[in-house]
This record gives sequence, structure tokens and C-alpha cells, in this order.
Amino acid sequence: MALVGIIANPASGKDIRRLVAHGSVFDNIEKVNIVRRILLGLQAVGADKVLYMPDYFGIVPRAVENVHLKMSVEPLDMYCEGTQEDSTLAARLLAEEGARCLVVLGGDGTNRAVAKGSVSVPFMSVSTGTNNIFPCMVEGTIAGMAAGFVATGLVPVEDVTFPAKRLDVMIDGEAVDLALVDVALYDDIFLGSKAIWDMDRVKELVLTQAKPSNIGLSSVGGMVIDRPMPQEKGLHVLLGPSDSDEGFVVTAPVAPGLIKPVRVLEVNEISLGEEVSFDLSPAVIALDGEREVEVLPGKKVSVRLNENGPRVVDIEMTMWLAVRNKAWSPAANEEVSFYGSSGHNA
Amino acid sequence: MAVEKEKLNWMYRNMLTIRNFEERVAELFAAGKCFGFVHLYVGEEAVATGVCANLRKEDYITSTHRGHGHLISKGGDLNLMMAELFGRRTGYCKGKGGSMHIADVELGILGANGIVGGGFPAAVGAGFTAKYKGTDHVVACFFGDGASNQGTFHEALNMASIWKLPVVFVNENNFYGISLSQKRSMNIPDVAARAASYNIPGVVVDGNDVLAVYEAVQEAVKRARSGEGPTLVECKTYRYRGHFEGDPTVYRTEEEVREWKKKDPIPRFETRLSQMGIMTEDQMKQLRDEISNQIEEAVKFADESPWPSPEEVLDDVYA
Repeated sequence: MALVGIIANPASGKDIRRLVAHGSVFDNIEKVNIVRRILLGLQAVGADKVLYMPDYFGIVPRAVENVHLKMSVEPLDMYCEGTQEDSTLAARLLAEEGARCLVVLGGDGTNRAVAKGSVSVPFMSVSTGTNNIFPCMVEGTIAGMAAGFVATGLVPVEDVTFPAKRLDVMIDGEAVDLALVDVALYDDIFLGSKAIWDMDRVKELVLTQAKPSNIGLSSVGGMVIDRPMPQEKGLHVLLGPSDSDEGFVVTAPVAPGLIKPVRVLEVNEISLGEEVSFDLSPAVIALDGEREVEVLPGKKVSVRLNENGPRVVDIEMTMWLAVRNKAWSPAANEEVSFYGSSGHNA
Repeated sequence: MAVEKEKLNWMYRNMLTIRNFEERVAELFAAGKCFGFVHLYVGEEAVATGVCANLRKEDYITSTHRGHGHLISKGGDLNLMMAELFGRRTGYCKGKGGSMHIADVELGILGANGIVGGGFPAAVGAGFTAKYKGTDHVVACFFGDGASNQGTFHEALNMASIWKLPVVFVNENNFYGISLSQKRSMNIPDVAARAASYNIPGVVVDGNDVLAVYEAVQEAVKRARSGEGPTLVECKTYRYRGHFEGDPTVYRTEEEVREWKKKDPIPRFETRLSQMGIMTEDQMKQLRDEISNQIEEAVKFADESPWPSPEEVLDDVYA
């Protein structure tokens, strides 16, 4: 059965970066519209069943209203806390149910939460967050079709997905959390409103990717390397206070609309499996742009670059292969012939 | 977010003061000592505390029917508050206003308000005054999720936006307007989403995390003081008690209340203060005893205060 999971985070795209930076406001009604188009895309290419994470707003149930779907769309049997743990639990349950693709609506934080639940099912991640480095800005219809092609097996999953890296965060040697894009050592003792915009407090960064075209903390990495970073590498960057005269200064877009000078003291490439230790406590660890972990006095934090991140659907490759393999499903043909025979073009 | 130890201590003290005051009022109301309606703030302490930790004495607040926490956070006198609830002449309104009409203009407390959404016009007026007079005063306008469905909310956001008034609209979203669930009264989950319609920033924070509230409002206050205009900060929180004392709360489940109590803002903050070495258990206990004594003094003051005389019944009555 071509089962697809949908995890749409109702809380993404609303944090303080709408106030301290210029982050987009992602209204839940728009998420409903996107999910509706995803469902239509899924059905068009032959997905049989969708299981989704229930949420307090009812993104998926609202998306189902006013459209006629032949495939089954059902909620997971889970209690929602209204926290990021919902996404983690939903991912785990969907993997157990045998989902062949997870459609994720959110930003980097949401994808991180989903990855904590499962990295074995391919992700089709649609941007509805703030920085959106991990997910793609893609039209929902296409996201649905691509996820459907993967789930139905009409395109070989190994040909159209690529492995993402991840960063494992350990305290005193014990894994406590993970990030998909960046880990930051932040000089503070409380999580507060979570987002990061005061770069003087960021002491170190560990990155899975470093591109000057990125937004957020990983953009700092992009500003200090002169060639694309190889897939099997990560980056460790040590930062200094802006008023110091050590190292050098780069200008980086650390949040939407927030372009700041950042003083860089040292840059080191790291390899898969390599571990970086932080030497500051108490402190706070930010994961994918949000303060998430409080480091108590005397505790030791280390970060390891890991190759076992989630597999990610390459949309372009999926769509090309679907066309080349003539992978159009019977369901899709019905839809096409319906419009062709209805006289719209007559 | 660098927060001085002194401020962290104040936050803890203030949340404890609100909690103790409210829990004592619940007992006194049940014993027939307080008059009129009382709407208690138990569970929502982090919001008023995190907001007012950013305000100066000369800044303003407008409050709601659930206003005790706001008043305490802005420096309201516990003796005068308790005496007002007891209906005594020494109270803030000489015993004739009760819980929902307490004001202290010298402290910038422009009044609790029994009318849902009644604080918005006053907040915009105070914001206009600050701008007109060229001061850098700001206004924190507290309101609930139900109030955001009132016309005054929309008028206030519109005016504050077009005139770039220094108002921080603080939504205390406790998910119920009296007994009506937010899910049944509005078709969106976040009140903050309404800010976009007025071209002002709207953000959602965990209203049970005093530091999250503090940090978001700090930025909003900074923006207001520098003339950039209003902000809407939505704080998701929960009231443990009924809408009013005596409310049987048949509209929500015990499970829901239990889940929210797990996120109680006071133990959460206590744990952090202790883990980070800001305050020891002994210091916390000492503070709890001190606050408890302070509340009992307020009760004694109120209980021993005189009643207003019948001849005063029409004094200070304007309409």
C-alpha cells in the first residue's frame, strides 16, 4: 500500500523572529491550502492512503473539506500535547505504520523534531517556517506528486532521495538531542524566547552545511569558505565578540532581514564521525536556530557529525524520472481524461 | 538575554506574591469576606510578571476583569487591594469598586475593567498621550482571547498602527472566554495572526515561561520606546481556577487542567533558578514565608479597616 504520512506543524512560522527580525508570518489557513494541494497531488499519482498528525487547529481535516478524495485520509491515534514532541511521536508512529514518505510542513525546527522520531522514511519537506534551510520552497501540488511517486514506488527511492547529515548533541557523553543544520553554543543560562539574534552571545557553531545563499547561522559558514563544502564534511566555526580585534569579520544574514557583522576567530572542517567539544558551562545550546538545551554548571557538551540523517526527496529528480519512466498512475490518467472529456477545451 | 540576578529574584518574588494573594482571596471569598465577583489569575503569573519586568514606574498598564496579577506586578499596594476586595474605606476605590475597578494612576495602573475589551481605548489614549507629549513612556495593554473578538480590539490595533503608538498589546490566551472555548469562538488558533491585518508584528510565546514572555516583551518595549509603534505579543497560558470563583468549570476536562498544571510557571522557574545556582532551596523557602506574612498582613489590614459609611454612598460617583 502506498501510505504517505503528513506532519504539518501548526506552530511553525510564528516565533519572535517576526519581531526581532523580519520573518514571514505563516498563517495556518495557508498551511491548510498547501496541504489541500499536497493531497490532490498525492491522489493524482496514485497514493492509497494518508495518515496525518492531528493538531489543535485541524490543518489536515480542514484541507479535506470541499475536495473529493478517493484515497483514505485518517488521523494517527495519538494525544497531542501542542509541543514539538507531537511531531517526533507522529514520525515514529508513521514509520511503524509503514509510511513510505513523510510530507513535513514546517521549518528547520519542525524537521528536526520529525527526524528525532524517524530518519528511515524519506522526507518531503515543505517550507512553512522561518529560515527554511532544510525544507524546500515548493508548490504543494508538486510536493504531493513527488511524495506520491516515491511512496508508490513508481520511481526508485534510492535514485531520487539523498542522505542528509545530522549533528548529535551529547552531554557528558550521552546523546540528548540532534540538529539537521546547525548547533550553536550560546552564552546564556536560559532558553527564553528560543530564537537567536544576538550574535555576540554565539561562541561556537557546528554546521552540516555552509552556503552563502543560506539564511540563519549556517550562512556564517558560507561566508568563510571559498568553495562548496563536500557532502562528507561539516564545519566548526569559533566566534568572538564584535568589539574585539581578533580574527576577521564577515557579514552574514543571521535571520530574515537581519544582516549582521560576525567576528570569526577560527574555522575548521570536520569529518563524518568527528566530535567537537564545547568548553563553556552553564550555557545554552541552540539547535537549528532555536535555543533548546540548557547546559547545567559543570556539564560537558560535545557535538558529532553523523551521516545518518533523514533521506530527503529530490523533487526535480523525482519529477524527471517519473516522466522518463512514464510513471503516471491510473488514478492520474482518470483525472486527465476527466478534464479532457468534460468539454472544458471544446 | 542577559537578565540580572536581582531581576530574576524579583520575577520569582512577584509570581509567588500573585499566587499567594490569589489563593488566599479564594479562601476569603469562600468565607464571605470579599464582595462582588473575583476572577483569579492563578496559573497565569508568568505573563504579568514577564511583561511588567520590562516597565518603568511611569509606564502605563491597562488591565482586565482578571487584574490582580497585573496590579501586583506594576507595584500595586497589597493592603489597599485586599481592603478593596473586603469593601473597606481604606481600599483603592474606598471599598465601592471591588476587584474589577482597581486603579492607581500614580503607578501607571489605568484600571482594571469589568467590560471585556474595555482596556483597549484607554491604552490607545495613553499611548497617544505619550506620543503627543514626546515622552518615551509605553503602555502594556493586557487582554484575553475573548476580548480579541471585540470591536475595540480591532479599532485599537488600527489606530495604534496608523499613529505608531507605543503600545504593547499583551494577549493572555487562556483558551476560554468565560466558558466558551477559543475553538468555538474564533476560526484561527493564534490571536497574534490578527496583527498582520494591521501591519504590526505579532508573535506567539509560551506564556507559562516567564523568561520567554520577558524577552519577547523586552523587544516589543524597545520598539515602542524608539517610536517604531505597537506590537502584539500572544502569551499562551491557562487559568487553573474557574472564570470566576464559584464557576463549576463543566466546560473543560480534568485531564486538560492536569496537563496544564504540569507546565505550572512557578515550579518551572524554581527549577531553573535552583539548577543555575541563582537561588537555593533555603532562600526560596525564606521568600515564601516572607510573602505569606505579607499577605496575612494585608488580610489583617483589610479586616481591621472601617466600612464606608452610608453617607458616602454617592461620593465619587460620576454617572
